[in-house]
Amino acid sequence: MNRVQTTKTFLWFILGLASAVGITRFIFGLGATTNLSDATPWGLWIGFDVLSGVSLAAGGFVITALFYVMRREEFHPFVKPAVLTAFLGYVAVVVGLLFDLGLPWNIWHMIIFWNPHSPLFEVGWCVMLYTTVLLLEFSPVPLEEFSRYARIRNFLMKFRFPLILLGIMLSTLHQSSLGSLFLIMPFKLHPLWYSNILPIHFFVSAIALGFMMVIFESLVSHWLYLKDSETDRIARLAKIAVWVLGVYFVLRIGDIALSGELGLIFSGSWEAGLFITEMLVSTILPVIIFSIPKLRYNHRWQWVGSIMVVFGMVFNRINVGGLTMIRATGDIYLPSWMEIVVSMGVVSGAVLVFMFAIEKFHIWEERPRHPEAYPFAPAAFDRASGAWLGSPLMAAGTRYSLAFVFSFAIGFALIPDTKIHSEGAETIPVVRARGGDTLFVDGNFNNYGVTFKHLLHTEITKNEQGCATCHHMNIPLDKNSGCWECHKKMFTPTDIFNHDWHSSAAGAAIPCRVCHPAGQQRRMETAKKCDACHLDLFVQNSPVKADGYMAVAYTDAMHTLCVPCHVKKATELADKPDLGLCPACHNINPPQERLELLKYGRTERSLKPVILPPQKSSN
Amino acid sequence: MEQLLDFSKGPLFRLTFAIMVLGLARIFVLDLYEAYRAYRRAGDKTLPWKQITLRSLTWLFPVRQVFKNRPVYSVFSILFHIGLLVVPVFLYAHVILWKDDLGFGIPTLPYQWAYGLTVLTIVSALALIIGRAASRSSSFLSRKQDYLWPVVLLIPFVTGFICAHLGVGPRTYQFFMLVHILAAELIFVLIPFTKIAHCVLMPLSQFIANLAWKFPPDTDEKICITLNKKGEPV
Repeated sequence: MNRVQTTKTFLWFILGLASAVGITRFIFGLGATTNLSDATPWGLWIGFDVLSGVSLAAGGFVITALFYVMRREEFHPFVKPAVLTAFLGYVAVVVGLLFDLGLPWNIWHMIIFWNPHSPLFEVGWCVMLYTTVLLLEFSPVPLEEFSRYARIRNFLMKFRFPLILLGIMLSTLHQSSLGSLFLIMPFKLHPLWYSNILPIHFFVSAIALGFMMVIFESLVSHWLYLKDSETDRIARLAKIAVWVLGVYFVLRIGDIALSGELGLIFSGSWEAGLFITEMLVSTILPVIIFSIPKLRYNHRWQWVGSIMVVFGMVFNRINVGGLTMIRATGDIYLPSWMEIVVSMGVVSGAVLVFMFAIEKFHIWEERPRHPEAYPFAPAAFDRASGAWLGSPLMAAGTRYSLAFVFSFAIGFALIPDTKIHSEGAETIPVVRARGGDTLFVDGNFNNYGVTFKHLLHTEITKNEQGCATCHHMNIPLDKNSGCWECHKKMFTPTDIFNHDWHSSAAGAAIPCRVCHPAGQQRRMETAKKCDACHLDLFVQNSPVKADGYMAVAYTDAMHTLCVPCHVKKATELADKPDLGLCPACHNINPPQERLELLKYGRTERSLKPVILPPQKSSN
Repeated sequence: MEQLLDFSKGPLFRLTFAIMVLGLARIFVLDLYEAYRAYRRAGDKTLPWKQITLRSLTWLFPVRQVFKNRPVYSVFSILFHIGLLVVPVFLYAHVILWKDDLGFGIPTLPYQWAYGLTVLTIVSALALIIGRAASRSSSFLSRKQDYLWPVVLLIPFVTGFICAHLGVGPRTYQFFMLVHILAAELIFVLIPFTKIAHCVLMPLSQFIANLAWKFPPDTDEKICITLNKKGEPV
């Protein structure tokens, strides 16, 4: 395998992982795949995919401005790759955004339901328009390959200049409006990053990053396809970039100095460390590297400098996008591996399309040299079986698809079961009711419960079925089991049978034939019922009939048990017409009984000792 | 044991099942694509489409071909294929697992049918091995994997039969269930990369066999170039 094929195999592998996770995200939602929360609703997918993605794609408008507007003819070879990168970058941003949006199918709403006061509205429109403009700017290149589309191509070529101007204008608008998004959070964003001219910071840094992405891309292409290096041209571009980076540095530091917060930089806090690292990597060191002519014309230092700016600026976007908000929100967010994989997958997909375009279309002055494009390359054979793998293109495809299949399967296997199988509602274990003759029923322990006069109810039901009016089931070896012993979850049903425990060798170790009769399908309907073995399971004469193997949610159990009886009594008892209404049990003000419940030495007659509320660590 | 069972039912199942499904899709698409490329390059593009379709269909349901050559072996082979396809897909115990996870199920086999088909599959697999070994011409053509495959395919059937129809204790049950699942997962992984891939490639075989003899018009010249003998007579 050569360098191109190794890289492609690796990219396909990541794409496979990302596809498995992506499908999971769209079927099971954000909760199953991300670590996002209400306090941190914008995570890696916004900080990296969108904020950084847009600025990484800035090379398109920067180079077209340089070439078409400022007439710097020497940068012509950079134009087509830069426009392609910009286009793919924007498509990647849109794809990345679809993963992050809770209701991605509503994305078209911004076209019809206008909210012109929102920076997001501006960003959305600009991204949409600019992606279209980039498509029109780039499409003459692939159309060149097909003679039958020559008329469309000529038509597009006529409008090239207005399209390019429009592209530059739209970029200027939304590169900055991504910064405007954060103007709304002066208390959330750390003061070293928050500024009234945040849009200008974003715009200037995007220009600098645009230059560096073009340089980086040229270096990578040179490394990957063994293309002739463009050291001189890169150095000339870097010379311009130094000025832009300088302006950015002055803006940032000057802005902080004007607002009198320079001291914060040297305060030694975590954010100060982030700031110093960011500024060093993204601005100060690259300016030094590219200011010294000897380093600027050195191939290796070009690598170092451009990588520094790219990583530094991405770091800046991540800082603004959320990393520096941690202190304000108090919510520590670490992206889950699935978020990271999807972000990497989106980038991999874009890079693969880029490589495809480079190989297929006339983007560079000369076509790249690599075996897949060469028709007379020697045949490839499978190393293990010696089988012929087909033409070079097919042999490569065999390898990429294999990488994709295996990585997809690995990704699919790694997705945690518990997150997929959750019912969407958080599982909240039920806490038993506290108290003696008067119980405080507060299953989820949020102190917003119901005071239940147990002693009173035993007296009321004396003439009916007694205890059995409510108590309908006992857990094995027990009598008068409490509600919470079966209805174990607040809002979701509980499996009270647990088949696998009964059949497992480590559990009850009961052979199948004990419950399932031989010669029949082993199914729930034909199996022996629970009370065939557990004799005291059901309370006799109880009007409540439990069937099935699932106990309903605690809240459902309470309401279906209490409400019908209360409604009935409300019509029967003339003095209590409100008995069937919600406030009959759910008091807005804590009633005297609950306060009494928490006191020792009560005057009430008590049969059981008072059980103090269990201590809970937080909240 | 419990943890091993959980692992093989959960992540390992998803891994192997995804490899099987995507792997089969992969070879199908790759084959079709290479065939398309060959067709596009071919100098002579006439293909006996009607004959190809008819032959593909008759070989998908080889009822007529059964008695032409080695009828007993053929009948067992067909029975084996039926059992192999029907039992795992329509077994009640399997369908209920899908139903628990996906929320919908498919019609299931009645108990007696499942019992009978399982026994039939086991018997016909054994008959196939014997038939292959006994016939001189076929044993001469056979590789090791041709003997091994019926045995590997039998493991889930035998262990499944033990678990489903014999009254074994929980410990034995769990052991055989583990073997059952692991063997099935081994089969899943092997399917796309071995001769069992014929389960999806079979419908293409007639088409590709016909296409294989259609060479591009300048094939002879290109072969010479590849062999570094440009300009020499073929």
